[in-house]
Amino acid sequence: MSSEEKIVEVLELIRTAEVKKRVIILEEMAHELESSTSEVEGLVEEALSKRYLKREGNMFRLTRKGFEVLRRHSEHYIHEKFSHGTGIIGRLGRFFEGNIRDWRSHWRHRHGLDEKSINGLYRGIRMLNGRIEETFPLISLKPGEKGIVAFAFGGRGLVRRLAEMGLTPGAEVKIVRSAPFHGPLEIEVRGSSLALGYGVASKVFVKKQVRAD
Amino acid sequence: MENKRNFTFALAGNANVGKSVIFNQLTGLNQIIGNWPGKTVERAEGTLHFKGQTIKILDLPGIYSLSTFSIEEIVARDYIALERPDVIINIVDSSLLERNLYFTIQLLELEAPMIMALNQVDFAAKKGMRIDVERLSNMLGIPVVPTVAITGTGINELLSTALDVAAVKTRPTPLKVRYGKEIEENLERLEAAVRDRLRELCRRYPARWIAIKLIEKDDDITKKVEAYENGDQVLAFADAIAEKLEQVHGHESMVVMAHERYGIASTISREVIELVAPSRITFEEKLSAITAHRTWGYPILALVMAVMFTVIFFGGDYLVGVLESLFEDVLIPMVTEMLSSILSTELVELISGGVISGVAAGITIALPYIVPFYVILALLEDSGYLPRAAFLMDNLMHKIGLHGKAFIPLLLGYGCSVPACVGCRIMETDRERFLAGFVVVLIPCAARTVVILGLVGSYVGIYAALTLYAFNLILVFILGRLAFKVLPGEPVGLVMEMPSYKKPSIRNVLTKTWVRTKDFVYIAFPLIIGGSIVLEALRISGLIWPIADFLSPLIGGWLGLPPKAGIPLIFGILRKELTLILLAGLFETFDFGLILTNTQMVVFALVTMIYIPCIATIAVLWREFGWRKASIVVIVDIWLALLIGGIANQLLLHMNF
Repeated sequence: MSSEEKIVEVLELIRTAEVKKRVIILEEMAHELESSTSEVEGLVEEALSKRYLKREGNMFRLTRKGFEVLRRHSEHYIHEKFSHGTGIIGRLGRFFEGNIRDWRSHWRHRHGLDEKSINGLYRGIRMLNGRIEETFPLISLKPGEKGIVAFAFGGRGLVRRLAEMGLTPGAEVKIVRSAPFHGPLEIEVRGSSLALGYGVASKVFVKKQVRAD
Repeated sequence: MENKRNFTFALAGNANVGKSVIFNQLTGLNQIIGNWPGKTVERAEGTLHFKGQTIKILDLPGIYSLSTFSIEEIVARDYIALERPDVIINIVDSSLLERNLYFTIQLLELEAPMIMALNQVDFAAKKGMRIDVERLSNMLGIPVVPTVAITGTGINELLSTALDVAAVKTRPTPLKVRYGKEIEENLERLEAAVRDRLRELCRRYPARWIAIKLIEKDDDITKKVEAYENGDQVLAFADAIAEKLEQVHGHESMVVMAHERYGIASTISREVIELVAPSRITFEEKLSAITAHRTWGYPILALVMAVMFTVIFFGGDYLVGVLESLFEDVLIPMVTEMLSSILSTELVELISGGVISGVAAGITIALPYIVPFYVILALLEDSGYLPRAAFLMDNLMHKIGLHGKAFIPLLLGYGCSVPACVGCRIMETDRERFLAGFVVVLIPCAARTVVILGLVGSYVGIYAALTLYAFNLILVFILGRLAFKVLPGEPVGLVMEMPSYKKPSIRNVLTKTWVRTKDFVYIAFPLIIGGSIVLEALRISGLIWPIADFLSPLIGGWLGLPPKAGIPLIFGILRKELTLILLAGLFETFDFGLILTNTQMVVFALVTMIYIPCIATIAVLWREFGWRKASIVVIVDIWLALLIGGIANQLLLHMNF
């Protein structure tokens, strides 16, 4: 893991603490990242020198630049997960897209998201509780698995519509079954059954829950 | 005076909660189905007499929310807020209380007098749930009546409770929906501002509701507020609140509000539901598991469709035979004879050829296929199978830019294009509706099947006929895909409720069939009869021959058909199956093998299959999509039929078919 990736992990921890409105100390971060306090201290120093973080009294805050780094990291992850599967075709598609520089225009032109929904996505990333790697699109869950909705994105009022059907952030979702060849998913949310098209389900990100059985 | 007042009750609730069953229970056959003014949303209205009162019952569209995602939602909320029915009867599925209460909360926010019908309590009990009705009623502050719509249990009590509320004998104090502290504080300030600055608008909608909708950034209300002099200030204030909410929660303000509402719904439902038995897997769930299964679902779907078409075509065929002999041997000669004694020969010919055979054709040919089709459709709808079919077909439908729900009108298309076009209303956006409508009219309906099977199937061979069907499917896919690329806009993904299976009520199925058949007769019959008269007049006056001559290069040259065959094709606009009857009449034989070569039969069937849907379909296209889009469909289809017919002619000739 490169030091830049490790810095991102630190930034994610600090963001989560900010969202939860609490303070996080170095030891705690070291515990979370399963590394030594001195190494985390070094990472924080590096983040400070790169102006990803700023000191505010005795705590650290993310700078605009820090958020930018986090956002790019999360965007990359979401993009990889939702639009290009791990199959050959997905990888090929990803390969031909090359290195994406302007994410905003990529979301808009390749994935049909309008300005409003991109802002919605960014807001979701900014206020995410935990690491982005802990979230998965619904399509990557198997029948019987459960998840908690983290965020959803998509154009044309899709997010609103999903919220109205009960898929609000924090709601528990269970996958009931899926149709073959990237067909829709049947899910259970708030006691009722919903069918979500593959495209829709790939835009709903959840935190997996450990199976009870 | 007070006793003579007519009351209006409106039924509101989610889709699939048994709303239409309750509506049919209340009104029986006393109902008028129409459209909401200026909208292609079905409006069902009926009257009933109860305790000496005449009560108007209005069935609002089945929706999940009162936002502005669909036209149905706007229609429903404007009706409740502006027309102010005496009582709103909120129909709720007891087994899905949490999601249903989400809608109830929004109704409460509209501050209309309401009661709740807690429907399908038997099914909830089967799932091991017991609902504390009194507690629910206390928490919501409105009367709650448990019902089982299918058996009619609780319907009388529901009516008398509604009547008590309407006559202000009982005055419920509905729950004031309270949001979290941070939202509530801002909401109250905004509400005060709305009350202060937008007096006019507050006369139409409750101030608090306007404030909520403004925070949710509701398009419709925002537009209304903008029109007011002080609107800008209120909007700026609302935007600031919404912005703050979004900053804090990281989600759209509307999503935050929805989450809060679901929180309330969840609290209430947890309070009132007692799980008395461990929930076991019901028969309905097993049925759902097998019919939506990733492998078994498809053969079952194929079987269901096969049974459906067999019943429609064989049942229809039998009925056609019976009715035809009745009309042709008994009724028509009788009426013609009666008329001959009083009118001149030409007039008798016009009436019997136009009016009477128009009516006869409508009854003997269209209805025998349509009525069984409607019965089966209602059975599939009421049982809850259609959403499973849509679930299975979603993937395929995406290939033509639609989603699974479009499978339903597509299926309808094999019966008759008229209800299929109306069925396109289930699609969410105008773009999708039109796309579905465009595709649906290309599907060979029962009448076109008569031509394909009667001509190609009987004389060329059944495989040739099946090839035509396969070709049709390919054509539908290619054209659907093209239209999808050409029409601007993004495709909408599938978000659909999967209701649990229910035993359909025979009474409800028959009522639905009757109402729909009536609707079909009203749309189609005047056009069929009118068209018959015009064509009969053309024939009697001899004007038909110049038209045939004019078209002969096209018909004879390009399509390679006998020039006379152009006339049945023109008449086919009235009803497609008429083409065969006319062909027989013109050549004075029913043995088509004598008059047409195999190639000509295939070309004739192809052109009939593709060119404009019949006149009744044009009318319904016009009604659903406007004249501009209707004419696009008509022009594209005629052009396409001639193009494909001509190409097929050339190809088949070269192949020495």
